[in-house]
Amino acid sequence: MSGYRLGDTEVADTFAEAFPMRYARLVVTAATADWAYEAARSATGFATSVIGCKCEAAIERSLSPEQTPDGRPGIAVLLFAMDRESVGKRALDRVGQCVMTCPTTACFDGLESAEKTVGLGAGLRYFGDGFQASKVIAGRRFWRIPVMEGEFLVSDSLGVGSGVGGGNLVIGAAEDTGALAAAQAAAEAIRGEGIALPFPGGIARSGSKVGALTSSSMPASTNHQMAPTLRAQVDDTLVPEGVGAVFEIVIDGVDEEAVREAMRRGLHAAAAAGAAHVSSVNFGGKLGEFHFPLSELQDPP
Amino acid sequence: MTLTLSLRARPPARVIANALIPERLHGIDAAGIAAVNVRCGRETVAVGELFEISGTAGEELVLAGELGRVEGIGARMSGGRVVVEGPCGDHVGARMSGGEIVVRGDAGAWAGAEMSGGLVRISGDAGARAGAAYPGARAGMTGGEIVISGDAGEEAGAGMRRGLMAVGGRAGSGAGLRMLAGTVIALGGIGAEAGIGNRRGSLVSGAPIEPLPGYAFAARYRPPALRLQLRRARELGLDVGGALLRGRWARWSGDRTELGRGEILIFDDEEVL
Repeated sequence: MSGYRLGDTEVADTFAEAFPMRYARLVVTAATADWAYEAARSATGFATSVIGCKCEAAIERSLSPEQTPDGRPGIAVLLFAMDRESVGKRALDRVGQCVMTCPTTACFDGLESAEKTVGLGAGLRYFGDGFQASKVIAGRRFWRIPVMEGEFLVSDSLGVGSGVGGGNLVIGAAEDTGALAAAQAAAEAIRGEGIALPFPGGIARSGSKVGALTSSSMPASTNHQMAPTLRAQVDDTLVPEGVGAVFEIVIDGVDEEAVREAMRRGLHAAAAAGAAHVSSVNFGGKLGEFHFPLSELQDPP
Repeated sequence: MTLTLSLRARPPARVIANALIPERLHGIDAAGIAAVNVRCGRETVAVGELFEISGTAGEELVLAGELGRVEGIGARMSGGRVVVEGPCGDHVGARMSGGEIVVRGDAGAWAGAEMSGGLVRISGDAGARAGAAYPGARAGMTGGEIVISGDAGEEAGAGMRRGLMAVGGRAGSGAGLRMLAGTVIALGGIGAEAGIGNRRGSLVSGAPIEPLPGYAFAARYRPPALRLQLRRARELGLDVGGALLRGRWARWSGDRTELGRGEILIFDDEEVL
């Protein structure tokens, strides 16, 4: 099937290629929604790409007091890595450094039904230097770690699920402002339950390709094919005529369907917001287990 | 499927009802259940002589009548549900490891003694030593939950090692005696001499009390784990006010004559009342 048009937006005949990942959901609560947000924002910092940051993480959604284990405002955070052990290590680091340190917070497992788990409080408790205490409440173990403000409460373990990482949309427009507005609209539409957008504001301007032309040791380098300033300089440019700026939205999700529907929402929102061209990044279909053809996203969400 | 056993008349002596648990009666027909023997005082009596039998034995067993002389209801059960329509005798849910027991009335002494799992809900008062260790044993309940809507008798949670006991009214004197760990919450307050020999346990009093000299005041704060436990108690039917969930609690550490890692939390926040 060839590409198609959504209004004035040209949608390329291509597909996004994504990979299996493991993920955990952290539920961070605090005395106020603002403090919960601060902790979650800190914990999801420097977590844009698993290549450079060892994990990908983002705020999934805000939680009302009725939706959290301790009845306080909260934030759900999704953290993705390539295997279960990595999820555990990264979660331990980030909760220890960014959540436990943040005033009034507590941290809970947001994936309690998962079959596989990794330790969280089970490792963090050692910060308590022997003064920590555990409580089993409704069959779940929690650790009370004494801190200068009072106590930090954290779940003993985190459930780990099988997710999908690397769904993506590449959104272009004639000018940078128009492309960014379309990408922002897409990111806003994509966010929701089961979805993490790990890049700043959900949007990446420096999309990458695997490896590099100039070095065999570089794991990734700039996607020169999608760089508008190089269109006249390289033979294999993929920047369409009339496109002057391109942004990429990388989408990690809790399952294949979540990513597909997120891409659908993003595609239609970008088109409605004036994108000139929407495409996706893949590796020829040889690396990723999950393929999301844009041709299957033509129907609106 | 529910099996109902209705007491025909007040038994002449104490009845030991350990055999009457869903997992042991499951699949047995009415005649078979009527032939099951239980102890009644010094004698062995068939269940059919004491109870009228109706329904089919399955996951749920209902016991009805004046059961104050029937002891050990649900003892050692590991699953299913037992509903006691009225008051019952001692040892209800003792050494149980799973399932749920609902007592719609008062319960005698030793409710949930040495239980390791499951849930005991008592809508009235409970007698002495609920969740406690039997004489000679070091540890009382090692898991599970006991919820008492009324008052608990003396030495509730004595020797408790793990689990939650939540009391809507007051806990009698000596609560948490030689407690190893676990939590005893009494929304109406805890009686005198609470927490003697407490090592790592948590005693929670919703009303002001004066801790023993083995305890020292530490701080007033909002204990995050207690918030979860109070929410759990509310979920299980206790009337936990919002002030207790939102407010500050005074933490007293002790018993310093023992390990000293235990605590008594006393509600202490006039701002939210």
